[in-house]
Amino acid sequence: MGFVGNLGDIFRILKHVFRQVFRRPFTYFYPFEDRPYPEATRGRHIHIREKCTACAQCVRACPVAAIRIDKEDKKFEKDCALYFDYTRCIFCGDCVSACRFEALFHTPIVDISEGDREDLVYGPDKITTLDRDPLEWRGRRFR
Amino acid sequence: MSPDILDEASVIWFGPQHVSAHGWATKLTLVGDYIVECDPNAGYFHRSAEKCLEFRNFRQGSMILERICMMEAFLAEYPYIAAVEKIVDLEIPERAKIMRTIMLEFNRIHSLQFWWGQFAGELGLFAMLLWPWVDREYTLDAFEELTGSRHTVSYATPGGVKYDFTPKFHAKMEIALSRVKERMPVFDDMLAGSPTFRLRTEGVGHYTAKQALKWGLSGPNIKACGIPMDLRKDDPDPNLAYGMIDWEVPTTHNEEHPGECDAFDRLLQRFKEIETSLDIIDKLLPLLPEGPIIDPKARAKVNRLPEGEGYGRVEGTRGVTSVWLKTMEKAQTPWRAKIRGPCFASYYSLKHIVPGARFADFPAIFGSLDPYPGWWDR
Amino acid sequence: MQQFDFYLWLSGLWDWIWGVLLWFWGILKWFVIWILDVIDGIWALVALPENFMFLVRAILMPGLIFVLFALIFTVWYTRKIWARVQDRRGPTHVGKYGGYQLFADAIKLMAKETIIPLKAKRWMYRILPSLLLVIVLLTFAFIPWDPYWNILGAPGSAFPDLSVSLVLIFALLTAVPVFSLLIGWVSGSKYSLIGGFRAANNQFASEIPMVISSVGPAMLAGSLSMFSIVAAQTSIWYVVLLPVNFATFLVASIASVGTFPFDAPVADSEIIFGWRTELSGIYFTVVYFAEFAEQMLYSALMVALFFGGFNGLPFLPGIVNFLIKWLVIYFLFTLVTSSFYRLRQDQIVHLCWKYLLPLSVLNVVLVMFAVVYIPGLLPLVIGG
Repeated sequence: MGFVGNLGDIFRILKHVFRQVFRRPFTYFYPFEDRPYPEATRGRHIHIREKCTACAQCVRACPVAAIRIDKEDKKFEKDCALYFDYTRCIFCGDCVSACRFEALFHTPIVDISEGDREDLVYGPDKITTLDRDPLEWRGRRFR
Repeated sequence: MSPDILDEASVIWFGPQHVSAHGWATKLTLVGDYIVECDPNAGYFHRSAEKCLEFRNFRQGSMILERICMMEAFLAEYPYIAAVEKIVDLEIPERAKIMRTIMLEFNRIHSLQFWWGQFAGELGLFAMLLWPWVDREYTLDAFEELTGSRHTVSYATPGGVKYDFTPKFHAKMEIALSRVKERMPVFDDMLAGSPTFRLRTEGVGHYTAKQALKWGLSGPNIKACGIPMDLRKDDPDPNLAYGMIDWEVPTTHNEEHPGECDAFDRLLQRFKEIETSLDIIDKLLPLLPEGPIIDPKARAKVNRLPEGEGYGRVEGTRGVTSVWLKTMEKAQTPWRAKIRGPCFASYYSLKHIVPGARFADFPAIFGSLDPYPGWWDR
Repeated sequence: MQQFDFYLWLSGLWDWIWGVLLWFWGILKWFVIWILDVIDGIWALVALPENFMFLVRAILMPGLIFVLFALIFTVWYTRKIWARVQDRRGPTHVGKYGGYQLFADAIKLMAKETIIPLKAKRWMYRILPSLLLVIVLLTFAFIPWDPYWNILGAPGSAFPDLSVSLVLIFALLTAVPVFSLLIGWVSGSKYSLIGGFRAANNQFASEIPMVISSVGPAMLAGSLSMFSIVAAQTSIWYVVLLPVNFATFLVASIASVGTFPFDAPVADSEIIFGWRTELSGIYFTVVYFAEFAEQMLYSALMVALFFGGFNGLPFLPGIVNFLIKWLVIYFLFTLVTSSFYRLRQDQIVHLCWKYLLPLSVLNVVLVMFAVVYIPGLLPLVIGG
């Protein structure tokens, strides 16, 4: 090693740092740009009520008891209403893999933060559709 | 020590609100700039994971374990799966074994990269805090492509794995691994090649192999002393694919003090761990056969388990991680679950390593041992 | 005994009232005349062209307003370079390229609650951070930004070439470790006390190599005045002749500021934020600015001592030359600060006393011999 070796090491480090300065930064402007999410992304759920059979397997599979079922609320022949509590959900994907009737899926939507705690409990009106209110900030529209 | 030294001592609490103590509190007694007494205190991170496991069935339990240590989520959840597979006999397909092994090693790489950044941040270089984390993003992208989640993959399940490898995942894994290989020389220059890094870590926090065995250290912390103690080699899990290939257990030898290791050796050891993981993945990928990924009877068999005991363990990033399960007849949930984390030993060994060091060396010592509070407060 | 004559008394009353009125008028007149005289004096002072220009210089151009704007720019510039080194973007949203981010941050920090710890010495705690900033800003008076537009040291100004300005700068900077030690002490916290002692230790270790490194340029130019040192560099920049001196000055100045490789006084993984741990709100803002002002000052000193100050491209004004060099030097300064691990306190002292000090002293000796024995050197370094 010695003094000269240390100087060489120092200049090698400075070279790496200097190169890094002129490289394009890795981060992106999050609300303005977004990265592509893969299809498999475990985001918020969507419940397809036409196919649901009210078997409650998703409720049994949930490790954190985030799903509540209401069997009285029928829209089709044998479906049910599901209430997803996203304050509890850990997005483990067990409910989706437990569903044998292809009635429950994850979607690649992950930005589900809300200003109010109650808004994170997705009732049957919100969980069956992907539509939601547009978000405007400084004259630009997201979502 | 004589009591007159302690007359001038001052007590400093390192945590629980300290910026670099995330969930622990260590009481340090200082005389001048030197630490004469170190008193680690666990319990500030307690979330009763073991009790939680008693209320989850055998498919849900791994979700709890993932959240004990986010950095090695899959490595943390695997011992639970292994313990369940010990109790009920399942036939794991060959493909699933290899896929599990690849994912374990892949997870180890990104966990070690996280540790690079964390250690560099504790030593005060914020550029190196973020550079490895950028590379880690590629690994997490690959995880997301495969499982849908970046950290908490919940990939394995008793009897196999949940998701099959896709061409897209193969492409993303190729990107991530080549990025790791490409950036290794840079990190070598920035960490082990940095004169300031050597100044901070050489001769700091050293212990002998005998002490390490006595304290129950495992993983990179003991391999840095030169002892090739590795569960992947010593006790290969039949449901993993480590036995199918040839690979070397990486060890580090300190040339000045044989049989001892200091913080710098622990860094070198973790570099070698990454190289070994890359090597294992490279050797396993061509062996990947076609076939099913899960035992078809697994779902029915895991619903109710017979009476028995299962002890699953795996070589984690920080050391040996293991889970012990005890079940009763027709059990839906474990009667008792015990988690053995690697970091309890490394945290309480601070009590013996730290005294005599300077106060400024304390972050270097605990950073190089890589303790994570989730592992001792469970 | 004479009898009291009421009418006589009454006839004298008018004189008495008149006297009182005159007395009041006298006070009023004196006051008005005094104010007019003061205004006259100020006017006379200001109306003199050189005096007026001194005021403009001190307040506007290379003075307070300019330095404050430069400080604001510096904070933005530093954050951008740090961000780029760390693979980030830095401030982006407030203003164009995040230019107004500092104002947003300053407003946020000032609006925060000022928490004074129970054990703190309240009066000292309140006064010290602002004194620190004042001391650091005072030294900018001696920086020769331009051949003519200077606060002190410009030919033809009210205060021409100050013959010891280099020494004065270091004399003022000697107060900085005292302030950091005192802030650490009066905060009443163990972390800040350790940080304060480390800061003082750091400065005592690094100030001496820095001062001795600056002796080299002073000897070459044959003057202790910053203006003369810069004016002597018309033919050649001293960095060409004294590269080792420049390196020691750079390292010692980084150590003296106490930023990244030498930030043991504010090491956030050991002592939470060192001597600034207990500062909050406006006090933290002031200390934060003082640190950046110090970094700015040292890069300006490096430009003046080693890179020829305002000498450069002849078709540009001197201050533009200075600022261009300053941007480059500041970039170098920040690059060096953000690429090494934090040294321990004993290692900092070890480095400064065992490596930097002998190197700089050796260089001084070399310069002495060179000035005497190398024949063509003196006309080259003294300048046209």
